[in-house]
Amino acid sequence: MKYSYNWLKELSGTKLSPEKLRGLLTLRSFEVEGLEEIGQELEGVVIGKILEITKHPNADKLQLTKVDVGKTVLDIVCGAKNIAVGQKVPVATVGTKMPSGLEIKAAEIRGEKSSGMLCAKDELGLGEDHAGIFILDKDAKIGMGLAKFLKLDDVIFNIDILPNRAHDCLGYVGVAYEITAIENREFDYDYSGLELPKVKSKKLKVEVADKELCSRYVGAVMENVEVKESPFWIQSRLAASGIRPINNIVDATNLVMLELGQPLHAFDAARVIGGRIVVRRAKKGEQIAMLDGTGKILSQENLVIADTEKPLAVAGVMGGLDSGIDPRTKTIILESANFNAVSVRKTRVGLGLKTDASDRFEKDIDPNLAEKAMVRVIEIIEHIAGGKLEGIVDIYPKKVKPWKIKLDLEYANKLLGENIPFKKSVLILKSLGMDISGKDGELVVEVPTFRVDIKTQEDLIEEIGRIFGYENIKSQPMVTPLVSAKVNKERFFERNVKNILAGLRFDEVYNYSFYGQKDANDCALGEIKHLELANPMNPGQQLMRVSLIPNILKNVRDNLRNFKSFNIFESGRVYWPNGGILPEERKIIAMAVILEQDKSAETFFAAKSAASDLSGKLGIKDVYFDNFDAAPSDSLLGLWHPGRSAEIKVEGMDGKIGYIGEINPLILTLFKINRRVAMVELDLEKLMEAADVEVEFEAIRKYPTVLRDISILAGREIMVDGIMKNIKKSGAGLVVDVSLFDIFRKEEKNSFAFHIELGAVDRTLESAEIDAVMAEIITGLEKELGAEIRK
Amino acid sequence: MLEQKILGIKTEALERIRSVKDDAGLFEFEKKYLGRKSELTGILKGLKDLSQEDRKKIGELANAVKMEISEALEGKKRELKNAGFDFESERIDVTIPSKANGYGHPHILSIVQREIEDIFTAMGFEIADGPEIEQEFYNFDALNVAKDHPARDMQDTFWLKPEIQNPKSKIQNKSENILLRTHTSPVQVRYMEKHKPPFKIIVPGRAFRNEATDATHEHTLHQFEALVVGDGVNVGNFKYIAETFFTKFFGKKLEIRLRPSYFPFVEPGFEFDISCTVCGGRGCPSCKHTGWLEVGGAGMVNQNVFVSAGYKRNAYQGFAWGFGLERLAMMKYKIDDIRLIESGDLRFIRQF
Repeated sequence: MKYSYNWLKELSGTKLSPEKLRGLLTLRSFEVEGLEEIGQELEGVVIGKILEITKHPNADKLQLTKVDVGKTVLDIVCGAKNIAVGQKVPVATVGTKMPSGLEIKAAEIRGEKSSGMLCAKDELGLGEDHAGIFILDKDAKIGMGLAKFLKLDDVIFNIDILPNRAHDCLGYVGVAYEITAIENREFDYDYSGLELPKVKSKKLKVEVADKELCSRYVGAVMENVEVKESPFWIQSRLAASGIRPINNIVDATNLVMLELGQPLHAFDAARVIGGRIVVRRAKKGEQIAMLDGTGKILSQENLVIADTEKPLAVAGVMGGLDSGIDPRTKTIILESANFNAVSVRKTRVGLGLKTDASDRFEKDIDPNLAEKAMVRVIEIIEHIAGGKLEGIVDIYPKKVKPWKIKLDLEYANKLLGENIPFKKSVLILKSLGMDISGKDGELVVEVPTFRVDIKTQEDLIEEIGRIFGYENIKSQPMVTPLVSAKVNKERFFERNVKNILAGLRFDEVYNYSFYGQKDANDCALGEIKHLELANPMNPGQQLMRVSLIPNILKNVRDNLRNFKSFNIFESGRVYWPNGGILPEERKIIAMAVILEQDKSAETFFAAKSAASDLSGKLGIKDVYFDNFDAAPSDSLLGLWHPGRSAEIKVEGMDGKIGYIGEINPLILTLFKINRRVAMVELDLEKLMEAADVEVEFEAIRKYPTVLRDISILAGREIMVDGIMKNIKKSGAGLVVDVSLFDIFRKEEKNSFAFHIELGAVDRTLESAEIDAVMAEIITGLEKELGAEIRK
Repeated sequence: MLEQKILGIKTEALERIRSVKDDAGLFEFEKKYLGRKSELTGILKGLKDLSQEDRKKIGELANAVKMEISEALEGKKRELKNAGFDFESERIDVTIPSKANGYGHPHILSIVQREIEDIFTAMGFEIADGPEIEQEFYNFDALNVAKDHPARDMQDTFWLKPEIQNPKSKIQNKSENILLRTHTSPVQVRYMEKHKPPFKIIVPGRAFRNEATDATHEHTLHQFEALVVGDGVNVGNFKYIAETFFTKFFGKKLEIRLRPSYFPFVEPGFEFDISCTVCGGRGCPSCKHTGWLEVGGAGMVNQNVFVSAGYKRNAYQGFAWGFGLERLAMMKYKIDDIRLIESGDLRFIRQF
């Protein structure tokens, strides 16, 4: 909210400069987001006294004046008719830049010298009035700057009031309390003196039908008011806080709202049928035309202020157009009430209306404020609109009284970590309006009702701490037992995986945790029951992901605009509904490989190499790639190319640890990706389980090994893995390694060529022994796999 | 006498080797001084005829001289060999670009998270984790956020549609609302339910806010939470830990400033600023001329939160502290648009 420095100064008596005050408020109370100096544009306009008026010799409509501006007397030519000798008027001296941009220069007007200008309000940017020169109060000081005299030179504080202090500090009095407390002074404001006069209204009846939503309603009738423009000082105060002046009645209610934080409303009594105010819930479908000109259809959720027939206002939010104050209004009904915060918030959200009133009510204000504010507004209206109080109605069934909190100042110091003298703490609390009893640091604190936020001992400790100044609390090392922190194995493992993948030339992406139904459909995941957001940002972000792949495919599509080939991965959670209170969250590592060219599944095998290297580096020995075991429960199956995908398994572990494969080309088409994309998806927890192996040293071979090559022809259903396993099995423990070095298709068969490395741990193999092993291997391949050995 | 002779051979050999210029010279030299028929070999052969005392003395000397001459010979051989190598003909242009093997880039948030984790674990903090999809209870109620607090609105929090319950599930009637956690703080309560103080934990993790994205706002955020609970944990301790952390993280001495703030789960609550990492506090455009950068929220754990977690009221004291990884990363690397972070754009990712 915007606060006028002048007004704060007047209330609090502070002598601090705006900059100093800003610094202290920021450290002790609230962040001051900005300072804005105003009134600077009228520099050069001073107060002058008209000494003489004579007719202009050459122009009927002009007059010559002599004006005393303190330092000198100026000759000024003026056309306005409302001036008279002895008046004080604003004089724009030579050199002044007017708000319109006009610069005042010494001139001759029809042969007469004129060194300055007498100003009307509109010329000064102070309103639309051009009826004549702005005549100032008689006591205005000659030569004084106009801005200073009108208190236009002000500094506007933009203060970010914390939500838990909105109930008192969205009013100047609340902030003034802060200022005096910061300056170690007690606040001098006759708060308790604001008591309602005991005159019961004969013309107004109030019925509060819903006491839950309206804990207090003070109504007052004022007669014979004259609705007109407010005095200048009120208008400028409202303007400084960003409120547009309307008329003196409305302005008075707004002024008091600014002062005390209690919103008020004024009805034209003539429009309140039956002289009766009813505070009730709206009927379903009831309609009202609001002050801002919009029409609203109400529901039973909404509390309204009604007369015997219709709603006059939406309680705590905005008044109705029909019952508002207009220039003919003579009798007014003033409302100063307390409405339920939650109800006001729901109503204003529902109706899409946010007002200065709702901003305050929805922060739960003190019902005792209603009385104080009513007293102030009556005072002001009597003063500026000539009205007279007819009487008052106050419905306040459950009176809120100050409450007491026990406070142990030893504990306060222990929590703050600073030895604040008890006397100092007591002083701080007193300066914030608390009553203190008790001794030796065992206090009983009585909290004023406007400090709705203070409920516990710790709330009081915060008051002490912040006013004492957090910067005065010394930082101090902690004294704690030296225990080694438990290692988060999963995090540590995940970090290790990321490091390895970086080494394998994978760049890491972070994606959102959701995607849309269309993405799911495009990825053949549309049938899967996803968790759904009730209020997504947009339909494209409605489903909680069950796979990282859809968003990664978008990354692939986007990056293909700039890169020809790349590897990316993401480590993130997927969310599966499981019938429990919370869904199952699993951490997944998903890797994607994109190559510039792919002739014979290079992309797939690059991904396979990465998966093998990753598991190898993690110490997982026996990883193998198995055909999809297409269980119907395996709902993610549709993502993959049916002929180019596999499950990743580890010998000795049940089930799979992930998938590898090319993404189904039909899906890639939907994503407009014209490359092959091979991906690896690993379940982090399972991967970690697989990697939890102890490495055991294996003796380095002392005896030489020999290499033999073998070429075979086998049916297309025979897979390399099967051949290699068969060779090892037949090798009687002498096969050290088998590696494929050539493969090509030959008619309906595949031709393979392998290096076979043979050796024993305890001797050099004799050539006869080698021949015998090779013979065993060949027999095994022929008999068990139906392979044909090529010579 | 014999000794003199040996030393004489040494002097002569070392003198002679200097003038050797080619392989033939080397051969001659070796033959003359180290060969089977050389004087030195002759002396060594004749050792057996000497007295035991002389044999030892002369033997040691002769062997040492032989060694010295051999080394001189080897040195000369290397010298002649190297002199014949034409390095100049092999000169290359070292500025020719090499074909890089390349390397992958961990995401900027992973990098920042690691740095933070390392600093905290070095101070004895444990890393804790919790679910990203949370119960309303842990995200709000247990953290002392009032039932009707605006944060629970649809505008601020992503809520999940009720899951179609498994008919066999016992909890199918439980009307517990589920949401995407709006902060990492629910982990505080989950951790405290299972552990007794004293402890020090950090919670890095993903959080979600239902707000429109722009250059400075993201609906998906990564937060970092620290929680320290014990007997006398106080505001001064928090200041110390915060100063230590930021000084290490930014690699320069930084000041911490606490300002009053309000979060329901702490009391007292603070907003904390660090002295501007760009200007050091003198004031510059980065800190809007205030000398301070706003980093996050903190405070002393509200006793109501301890009670939610099953502790006795006023049995412990602690501080909680949270900040955004994105903001730290943006400050550290001077990134001006938060949306780049989860864009997946390699032109961005490869810069870190």
